[in-house]
Amino acid sequence: MTDGTSEHTVRAFDRELELLGRKIAEMGGIGEKMLADGIDALIRLDANLAQATIVMDKRLDMLQREVEETAVSIIARRQPVGVDLREIVAAIRISGDLERVGDLAKNIAKRAVTLSQEQRLPRAMIGLRHMGELAALQLKDVLDAYSQRDVERADSVWMRDQEIDALEDSVFRDLLTFMMEDPRNITICAQLLFCSKNVERVGDHATNIAETVHYILTGEMLPMERPKGESMGGK
Amino acid sequence: MNEMSSAQTMAKDSEGVKIAIRNLNFYYGAGKPSLKNINLSLRTNEVTAFIGPSGCGKSTLLRVLNRMYELYPNQRAEGEVLLDGQNILAPGLDLNLLRARVGMVFQKPTPFPMTIYENIAFGIRLYEKLPKSEMDGRVEEALRGAALWGEVMDKLDASGLSLSGGQQQRLCIARTVAIKPEVILFDEPCSALDPISTAKVEELIGELSEKYTIAIVTHNMQQAARVSKKTVFMYLGEMVEMDDTDKMFTSPSQQRTQDYITGRFG
Repeated sequence: MTDGTSEHTVRAFDRELELLGRKIAEMGGIGEKMLADGIDALIRLDANLAQATIVMDKRLDMLQREVEETAVSIIARRQPVGVDLREIVAAIRISGDLERVGDLAKNIAKRAVTLSQEQRLPRAMIGLRHMGELAALQLKDVLDAYSQRDVERADSVWMRDQEIDALEDSVFRDLLTFMMEDPRNITICAQLLFCSKNVERVGDHATNIAETVHYILTGEMLPMERPKGESMGGK
Repeated sequence: MNEMSSAQTMAKDSEGVKIAIRNLNFYYGAGKPSLKNINLSLRTNEVTAFIGPSGCGKSTLLRVLNRMYELYPNQRAEGEVLLDGQNILAPGLDLNLLRARVGMVFQKPTPFPMTIYENIAFGIRLYEKLPKSEMDGRVEEALRGAALWGEVMDKLDASGLSLSGGQQQRLCIARTVAIKPEVILFDEPCSALDPISTAKVEELIGELSEKYTIAIVTHNMQQAARVSKKTVFMYLGEMVEMDDTDKMFTSPSQQRTQDYITGRFG
């Protein structure tokens, strides 16, 4: 409804906002790739891919700093209001979420390096991979919603987070069973528990971003609680 | 039953309203109106800011509220402006009394070419006869009210024109509050002032709002955001939107307001 599509009288302001948008887009791209590669490295026990994923995080951290500096500088010099202010607050929030996504993916990659020596892996890996795919999809959807200023798409990401939560539950139960079968499995399963928690958190950051996109476009906050129930895929 | 409840809501809506503007049109002469069908209310002890591009009618609206326009022939207003329920546009109203109740501070400081003391006392004498000692008290009270007392207390006999621009503007505010108005209209009160003086006047407006109902016209959007509780956006003689200032500057409901406050036109 209130998208600031027309240009500012001061065109340098438009360029600064564009720059901010581009940096967020780059961060989103890196975050998505880190998550996909981190999960991939874990499933295939690929230590090289895991290492490459870990390295990517540096660029993400740097971009987040740049977003913050640019945003603070715009606030100081231009005193943004209305949709501009919401855009800038959103950029700060989203860059924070994406930076955390990078950290979580890096953490998964580190565990993949540790696990790459393992011989026998539990069945729960399948559930974990599925979780990873879902989280990656949520992240992609919400970043598209951000770049296309699509509030409905953002809202649907926000509604869908329960699927990942439900999967995390089943992965947790699988891992628990595997640990009870043989105490020697405990080390590897503990690592995988952390991985599944990390993926679940990526989902949470995707919903945070969805809330932020909703705020940019409507000026209103989504309610604190998601409506429960409704048919949420899976089981 | 229903009529009762709607009457009650009406009563509740009018509660706390100091000035109600109803269907106001204003003409600078023959031709199109400069204000078109304005409807809004200023609430007691609230600061209401008027923003909009040059020529949108915000100063004109302010000049209607104490019938300043009457100083010029051919200018006329239609509709109603109710001050505590009384229509101030009605003929036969005592304009001096009105202007004592609705004071105004202008863009450029306009101290009289007389002493600081006399600048304040002059206005009071028009309405009241006070013994010297009481007058001294009123002058001090007004200067304190305008946060100027500390700076001028030992030079009350100096000319008002010897003060700095910011001090002069506060002197004008003191002159306005001295006659104990109920409403104060500020027409771009800081546009000729440096940032420190501006900050002092803004601080003062905040303090004054505890006692007075305030309307302020400003070109400085950040100033409107800082000092007011409600903001009115005007464009081409019409009121586009009025809302809580917080709402207006974070997510206004009208696209034109959005475009203006974000610097996309105007």
